[in-house]
Amino acid sequence: MSVRRAEKARSAVPEPPQPGRVLDARLHLLDRQVLDVDGVPVCTLDDLELDDVAAEPATRAAGGGTAVGDGPVVIRALLSGPVLGTRMFGGRPPGSRWHRLPWRDVTDIGTAVRLGVPGARLDVTWLERWARNHVVGRIPGGRARPGKG
Amino acid sequence: MSRRLLVVALGVLTAIGGFVDAGDLVTNAVVGSRFGLSLVWVVAVGVVGICVFAHMSGKVAAVSGRATFEIIRERLGPTAAGLNLLASLAVTVLTLVAEVGGIALALQLASSVDHRLWVPVAALALWLVLWRVKFSVMENAAGLLGLALVGFAVAVFLLGPDWAELGAQVAQRSAATETGATYWYFAVALFGAAMTPYEVFFFSSGGVEEGWGTKDLATSRLNVLVGFPLGGLLSVAIAASAAVVLLPAGIAVDSMAQLTLPVAQAGGTLLVAVVIVGLVAATSGAAIETTLSTGYTLAQYLGWSWGKFRRPAEAPRFHLAMIVALVVAVGVLMTNVDPIAVTEYSVVFSAVALPLTYVPILVVANDPEYMGEHVNGRVMNFLGTVYLVILVVAAVAAIPLMIVTEAGG
Repeated sequence: MSVRRAEKARSAVPEPPQPGRVLDARLHLLDRQVLDVDGVPVCTLDDLELDDVAAEPATRAAGGGTAVGDGPVVIRALLSGPVLGTRMFGGRPPGSRWHRLPWRDVTDIGTAVRLGVPGARLDVTWLERWARNHVVGRIPGGRARPGKG
Repeated sequence: MSRRLLVVALGVLTAIGGFVDAGDLVTNAVVGSRFGLSLVWVVAVGVVGICVFAHMSGKVAAVSGRATFEIIRERLGPTAAGLNLLASLAVTVLTLVAEVGGIALALQLASSVDHRLWVPVAALALWLVLWRVKFSVMENAAGLLGLALVGFAVAVFLLGPDWAELGAQVAQRSAATETGATYWYFAVALFGAAMTPYEVFFFSSGGVEEGWGTKDLATSRLNVLVGFPLGGLLSVAIAASAAVVLLPAGIAVDSMAQLTLPVAQAGGTLLVAVVIVGLVAATSGAAIETTLSTGYTLAQYLGWSWGKFRRPAEAPRFHLAMIVALVVAVGVLMTNVDPIAVTEYSVVFSAVALPLTYVPILVVANDPEYMGEHVNGRVMNFLGTVYLVILVVAAVAAIPLMIVTEAGG
């Protein structure tokens, strides 16, 4: 939520011209599809973890709002998981429940956010792996390509 | 040559799910037997509307690679998109219930075995198709066999009706025996059926499944321009056959068996057999479309891996969602509910979902970051805006009309 709040606070001051590409966190990042290095969907970007530029890389969530003042902020990580519920209804989930995708893994932001790592290794896809290993992979034909063999 | 013919299969299958699914088959016949052809203009309005928005969603999918529900989530945020998800899932699953019931009823027509025995068989067959059959094979088979419904059009010609009188019905604005509210209730129902949201979910996701890129924009346009008018024509043919035979006889349609009465009168057993093949194919096609749409919308809203072009193990939650949808459908049908009545109530959910689905498509089709040089032209934007107004009016009017007329009573 505080991504929005911070934006609102800053919008009173006109943005100075900056080199490079200006990204609007809400427009270009939030709720975009996240794809892994092979183009496989990983998750939807539910929220961002922001931090003051000068601050320690201690984790404060975008959802919390206390960490973000008026100063410049950097994005530490993309968040997914139970953050979705709190964005709808307010509040803040315990930090241990977030799935964090470090910002350094992001390679491109277009109509989707692309990561430079395979999705299979990420914590956020654990449910996908569980469903594959315990249910879908066990049904006959579950691992075969449709229409072949 | 065959490749060129089959390239429009996605459009044909999408349109079959929209215009001649189990609920619409009966609705069209009901409308024909009660109002003659006086509601044909609604089908025409609906065909143009779904063409406009299916074209936009197909274009967005081809150019940006993003299917419609990803865009809805991205533009509306989690809350409004979540509301749309709930409403759309309700429509889609209710329609799926009606389709599985419809397949069972059509098989009962062919076999005289009670339809409840056919329900689990039909659901299992559907699941096997979704689990193992390639997307292109699936859409070609269901789309082409569904065209057997042309038998209704053949029946109209064989019956040799008084064309001048049919023409006069088209120009009429209501039927003498019906109230104005009932007329408009069926107008909204037909319009809602033409524009059901799962059509654009399926069409845009199908474009991604087929790997459409910018070079396939012409394919997308061809699919839209062939598929949906064809769907509209089939639905008008059903209404016309009912208007010719059932309207003068004063027979009110309330089951699928009565659908085939005019066909039997016109072409005998042979034409009925052809039409039953069409009925089974169309309801199966619509069932495939709605089951896939359930998986597509959930997966795209939550960011799961999806698609028939992947192995099931590579999109496990997408396949699980479809299995759950089919199990729910069988469960609902086993309560002995009337599958056709079920679709009447989906109009209410459809009303909520319609504007929430089509606004983001229009917005993104104008976003150069998604579309580059392929952003909407003025004509498309004009048509899109006009249709949004119509959609909102229909959405607001749907529930009061349903209450006043007791669902068309």
